[in-house]
Amino acid sequence: MKILVAVKQVAALEEDFEFRADGRDVDGDFLVMDLNEWDDYSLEEAVKIKEACGGAVEIVAVSVGPPTVDEALRKCLAKGADRAVRIWDEAMRGSDSIAVARILAAAARAEAPDLLFAGVQSSDQAVAATGIATAGFLGWPHAAVVSQFTYTPGAATAVLRRELEGGLLHELEIRTPAVLTIQLGINTPRYASLRSIKQAAAKPIELRTLADLSLNAAEVGEAGSSARVRRMYVPDKGRAELIEGSAAEQAKRLAAIIRESTGAA
Amino acid sequence: MSRSEAVTRILFEAFPAAEVRLFYVLGLAACAAFAYGVYVQVRKYRRGAPAALAGGMWPRLGWMIARVLDHRTVERRDPAAGGAHRLIFYGFTLLFIGTATITLQYDILEPLFGVRFWYGRFYLVFSLVLDLAGVALIAGLLYMMVRRGWLKPPKLDYARPDRSPGDPDFDRPQYRREDWAFLWLLLIIGATGYVLEAARLVWLQGRADVWDTRWWSPVGALLAAALRGVGLGPAGGGALRHGLWWFHGLIALGFIALIPYTKVKHVFTAMGSLMVRDPLAAQRLAPIPESQAAPGVAAITDFTWKQLLNLDACTRCGRCHEACPARAVGAPLSPRDVILSLREFAHATLESGTLPAAAELNVHGKSPGQVAQETLWSCRTCMACVEICPVAVEHVPIIVQLRRKLVEDGAMDPLLAKTLATIHKTGNSFGESRRRRGAWTKALPFPVKDARREPVDVLWFVGDYASFDPRNQKVTQTFAALLAEAGVDFGILYDGESNAGNDVRRVGEEGLYEVLADANVAALGSATFNRVVTTDPHSYNTIRNEYPDFGGRYPIEHYTTLLERLFAAGRLKVTQPLRYRVTFHDPCHLGRFNQGYEAPRQLLALLGCELVEMGRCRSNSFCCGAGGGRIWIPDPAGGEKPAQNRIKEAAAIPGLQVYAVSCPKDLTMFEDALKTTGNEGKFVVREIIELVREALPLAAPAGAHA
Ligand code: SF4
Ligand code: SF4
Repeated sequence: MKILVAVKQVAALEEDFEFRADGRDVDGDFLVMDLNEWDDYSLEEAVKIKEACGGAVEIVAVSVGPPTVDEALRKCLAKGADRAVRIWDEAMRGSDSIAVARILAAAARAEAPDLLFAGVQSSDQAVAATGIATAGFLGWPHAAVVSQFTYTPGAATAVLRRELEGGLLHELEIRTPAVLTIQLGINTPRYASLRSIKQAAAKPIELRTLADLSLNAAEVGEAGSSARVRRMYVPDKGRAELIEGSAAEQAKRLAAIIRESTGAA
Repeated sequence: MSRSEAVTRILFEAFPAAEVRLFYVLGLAACAAFAYGVYVQVRKYRRGAPAALAGGMWPRLGWMIARVLDHRTVERRDPAAGGAHRLIFYGFTLLFIGTATITLQYDILEPLFGVRFWYGRFYLVFSLVLDLAGVALIAGLLYMMVRRGWLKPPKLDYARPDRSPGDPDFDRPQYRREDWAFLWLLLIIGATGYVLEAARLVWLQGRADVWDTRWWSPVGALLAAALRGVGLGPAGGGALRHGLWWFHGLIALGFIALIPYTKVKHVFTAMGSLMVRDPLAAQRLAPIPESQAAPGVAAITDFTWKQLLNLDACTRCGRCHEACPARAVGAPLSPRDVILSLREFAHATLESGTLPAAAELNVHGKSPGQVAQETLWSCRTCMACVEICPVAVEHVPIIVQLRRKLVEDGAMDPLLAKTLATIHKTGNSFGESRRRRGAWTKALPFPVKDARREPVDVLWFVGDYASFDPRNQKVTQTFAALLAEAGVDFGILYDGESNAGNDVRRVGEEGLYEVLADANVAALGSATFNRVVTTDPHSYNTIRNEYPDFGGRYPIEHYTTLLERLFAAGRLKVTQPLRYRVTFHDPCHLGRFNQGYEAPRQLLALLGCELVEMGRCRSNSFCCGAGGGRIWIPDPAGGEKPAQNRIKEAAAIPGLQVYAVSCPKDLTMFEDALKTTGNEGKFVVREIIELVREALPLAAPAGAHA
């Protein structure tokens, strides 16, 4: 049995940062890259399934991105993934979540897993669409925001719980192969010791290109995306004022502000 | 035979030949049992991993013999027990040597070479010495009995903090029984020796060579007088001597046979342990050998033979148990019990002819003999245990080795795991960007040199807490102002500096430590400087003792030493003596780890402070609880924290005004404990740097000084 875990290397902002010259993203110099927090949990969930059944499960971590993404994949290998696959082609630059989902779906067809895990969302873009869109391309059953998962490798169905608004839980049974997006807190991700990360550095990371996945350049990158970033910017700060004084004074100041802002001077 | 040759020890006189033969058979059997026991023990140690010993064999042997003879380690913090042990040791050793030389002459030298020396004046002096040795032995034993039976110091209570009442190995009554059996056995051997001597005198009272010299054995002679007083005659004396001779002989032989199987073996294992002692056991931890597939200790056989020997050396004296800050606040850890537990485990698994299956060798867990995770994570690696152990048991490397395995398995508090990941990612435990490491300098009215860009005299390794913690940043800025005022040419590494790794290593994350140490050694290598200074004792320890293994050798000092020198050279001057009543907390890594006891005290004296020591000071300083990575693990709610325990100790000093510290983590821990123990307002916690600043003229508008 095989579990495909789709992961993303996300960016965190340093305290002081600058934008790229084209204004559409932060300058890469000011970003600290790391494995997406949600993906830590989905990988752990896969490793738990593998450990519970004594090992007859292959875990494949897959990510779309340039060579720098290898670091995140190595972390997955260190934490228990058996193989790591990086998909990249310069044409994929600028892919939005839907284009990434198209690429992942192609990879899933090639790998033919029994389960595909993705995080609910990525911490940097927070679109929360990639996992479910992948299911859409594949035409597989799917469930989002999974907070509990029970599955015996080989079984035709799995039982899961998902979080709903207002603290409700949704328990459902799902046919495999299926796509699940995993929520934080479903487990406690393990610590990958530096030693295991170093050892993982010796393991190969398999590279897949457009051609390997029978995709064409028009389906990926900006060409294959339905959304395009126009600009990224820091919004102007809102204003706040603490009004002090007696009730009458406060009322007077409040009235003045209302008059100012409505232009009724 | 001359008169003088007749004056000698009566051995087998009047024994039928068959009895003499029987005694020899039994004697040889006892020796065989002893030899087999030794073989089993040695085989056990050889089942451990190889160990590298630092230093030459002869200096180590010399050091061991000196410690055995002067009993310095046994006496510390318990002079009464140390004194009693000295009496027992010297009494026993002299008696043993006496007996051994008799055997030497009687069974070897005389029959083979015709050499005889046990007669005349030599014999008489020797019998006087041995008589007195017996007195010492018995006196020592009696004190130990009083101590165990009546004084009952808490450290001799075998109840374990890491087990609950009802667990099979909770308070181990078998230890108590063994302790008493040992005392009684020695006492009986000693006492029967005297009665035997007296009986022999009564029996041979008609022989001038025996009777006239009897006062050379004063105790025996007194007892003989008493026996005669109650009507014992020569015939009765002979019979008593015959019976007692066998009784005394048999238990003495039994004692020899039992040595390797009982706590008596500490006689040898303690000497062995002292001999293989590593004076930097806690200060400089061993790297993971290249040959080792999995890091740390999972199976008992992953310990080195030296560590297995350490386990057997433990005398259950309880000094480490008493000193341990984790134990003192009720954490499920006693260094003594970690050692004893593992010893029982080694005894159960490694003493049989064939090694049990690998699965049975796992020392992690909660079954008898195993060590629980919570126990290992309770340790502050404060070294109090290693420092006080009279027989050089090295607990800290043992605990860290066990932790390395836990780290590899990810078996740790999630917050700790998170911090380690953060340190890997950002190079500091605060999760701040590297770029901000030098941000504290911006508040200074002068620039701080980047030692990577221009040469400096003093390279200041700042450390995480001093760089990022807002409260400590103030101290850091003050120290910079002091250096500037004294005209010191100094610089820092800015974003080139990473967490020094001292605590990461003690957590057991060796891989991360290597990354940090390599990064810092590379950064230091890119700078030009004459020496390193740091305000952080943790960084100080690892740079001083551990970086040399990574190719980084630098003269380094703690800031207290540097400031003291600046005062001595007149580059800093006290103009407003402080007159505070202060106490000083020795940071583990400055004091116990690196003997930096004097400089902070001298600084306090220079500043005009009146220093009142706490009971636990210098080598016995009580850890603030932050060491060994515990600063990144939340303490259990409700219980007392080591820092609170310590603040309460200080609060008992009448009129205390300032609780002085010289470590960034101490400042954080104790300011917090001051509040949580309700002592806020009674006295304050201050870095010595802040006190120094207060005693100097505020010349420059030190923007740094809040
Ligand atoms: S190092 Fe300190 S905390 Fe750890 S066992 Fe020894 S005394 Fe206790
Ligand atoms: S380890 Fe050392 S200090 Fe601790 S009980 Fe044993 S002998 Fe005493």
